[in-house]
Amino acid sequence: MRLSLSVRCWLLLLLLPASALAALQIGVVELPLWSLLSGQPTDALPGQVFWQLRLPRVLLAGLAGASLALCGALLQLLSRNELADPYLFGVVSGAALGATISSLVLPGLALALPVAAFAGALLAVLTVLLLAQRSNAHGMHSVSTLLLTGLAVSFCASAIASLLLYQADSFAANRIIFWLMGSLSRADWPAVSILAVSLLLTLTLCSLGRRQLAALAWSDDMAQSLGVAVKRWRLLLLLLCALLTAVVVAYCGGIGFVGLMIPHLVRLLFGTQILLLLFGSAVGGAVFLIWVDTAARTVLAPQELPLGILTALCGSLFFLLLLNRRRSPYES
Amino acid sequence: MTDSVELLQCQQVRLQLPGGFTLGPLSFRLCAGKIYGLLGANGAGKSTLLQLAGALKTPQAGQVLLKQQPLQQLEPRARARQLAYLSQQQPPSDMTVQQLLQLGLLPHKALWQGDNAADKAAIDAALMQVGLSSKATARLTQLSGGEQQRAHLARVLVQQAELLLLDEPVNHLDIHYQHQLLATLRRSGLTVLASFHDINLAAAYCDELLVLQQGQLQAVGTPEQVLTPALLQQVFGRPCLVDRSPFDGRCRVTFAPEAQ
Repeated sequence: MRLSLSVRCWLLLLLLPASALAALQIGVVELPLWSLLSGQPTDALPGQVFWQLRLPRVLLAGLAGASLALCGALLQLLSRNELADPYLFGVVSGAALGATISSLVLPGLALALPVAAFAGALLAVLTVLLLAQRSNAHGMHSVSTLLLTGLAVSFCASAIASLLLYQADSFAANRIIFWLMGSLSRADWPAVSILAVSLLLTLTLCSLGRRQLAALAWSDDMAQSLGVAVKRWRLLLLLLCALLTAVVVAYCGGIGFVGLMIPHLVRLLFGTQILLLLFGSAVGGAVFLIWVDTAARTVLAPQELPLGILTALCGSLFFLLLLNRRRSPYES
Repeated sequence: MTDSVELLQCQQVRLQLPGGFTLGPLSFRLCAGKIYGLLGANGAGKSTLLQLAGALKTPQAGQVLLKQQPLQQLEPRARARQLAYLSQQQPPSDMTVQQLLQLGLLPHKALWQGDNAADKAAIDAALMQVGLSSKATARLTQLSGGEQQRAHLARVLVQQAELLLLDEPVNHLDIHYQHQLLATLRRSGLTVLASFHDINLAAAYCDELLVLQQGQLQAVGTPEQVLTPALLQQVFGRPCLVDRSPFDGRCRVTFAPEAQ
């Protein structure tokens, strides 16, 4: 049985608040959710757990999942490559390098790590864009250049980070390795608001530029002949993707596979209409990461599982299952 | 007939491609309301010339003027409202025919504008012109090669530009649609520059022909002026016979087959 498109859209949309509510309820500390949300007086502890820990964490999970999946969908559209992923553009390795350096230089400062990771991520992406721009000037094909440059910069940053860690003490190395596995335990309100604003900005731009995106997804020639300022749009969207991913990586570490997998799932379930694909990816990514994070903090409670391990594990298994059952719409 | 308004003008344009091929320097002009056919052997530079005229490539020397204004200085969207381009090959896409045609309206839309009833009417009219009204919601991947080509031509028509640059527009089309489509373009009153491999089809529907050989314009003029056995032998390397079609009296070229 196949549900109609609009029914599927509504189901996905309803799944988001339902998942968020469920995730708020599930946890080590039992929370009187209704009294908290309706503002009735409760004990101090549940209130604190709810407002300072659980709510920002669930929100950050949703926002990070939405951002990663949206970036994945956007990059796949822009590069016209189904294997494009926010991690391909050097963001994570750049962030890891930044985090490594800050861990070694300023081990005591808690705020240094996200800031350094963000700076590293942004620096890596800018390097990729700049290098790709230069090779394009020499007549190389833009999309493949971008992906290849991203890969090269990734490897370079990873190598330097590994070298530094190899030389460093084991405490710093542990810190970085765990950070790279991904976690939302750092969730707080500043993180939530920064990510919410960046995500909203990107979604707004995507809605306004839906026609430009559709033309860019088709081919550069098509976009240019339709009067789209190809270079300007591509640069703007790439920078927004880099910014979003850098914020996510800085706060949450490495959360792999969401950006690659969710857009694929959405394409299989909802087709390739641009807005449906982008918004579907955002909502799907949010739902996915909310549940994965809920699992991460409850399965082995009170111990917490690294998020990146879970996303990669359940993501890849689910993905293999789906690929087996359905054919990609790009295959004839 | 008096000479009509000049729409596009190429002045001594020259472009060298990374592979070493050089187009031009060449000059020509297109007048409003006429159909121009671009002929030439494979690799003669037909597609490159169309891309130059469509501002997809920038000449290294000389300039292209659209209504007396340098093409590269026009705001891209304003340019796209006057000039539509159809490339020879299209990537496979899962889009529906309707979504493809909506792309054609892009130059007419501000970022915040939605789709309205007039857009729908324009899309329906274009689909009617290419005989695809019944396939509006079909995915491009489900269409035959000829139907896909017609969908792309409809996209170009929806763009409502005065000047159409078409790279082998009748590619993949059956005989019926080859003629129907070119007749539709003639009736539309639009200015068209299109590349052809079928010389007789070009002779039947074009007001003027431009013949390219190795990046140089060999001849420009009416089919009667241009299509001479000597020129065709020079450009295509085959002896041929040029006579008149019994239907409309226009030029008809028959190439001599290879001796067996």
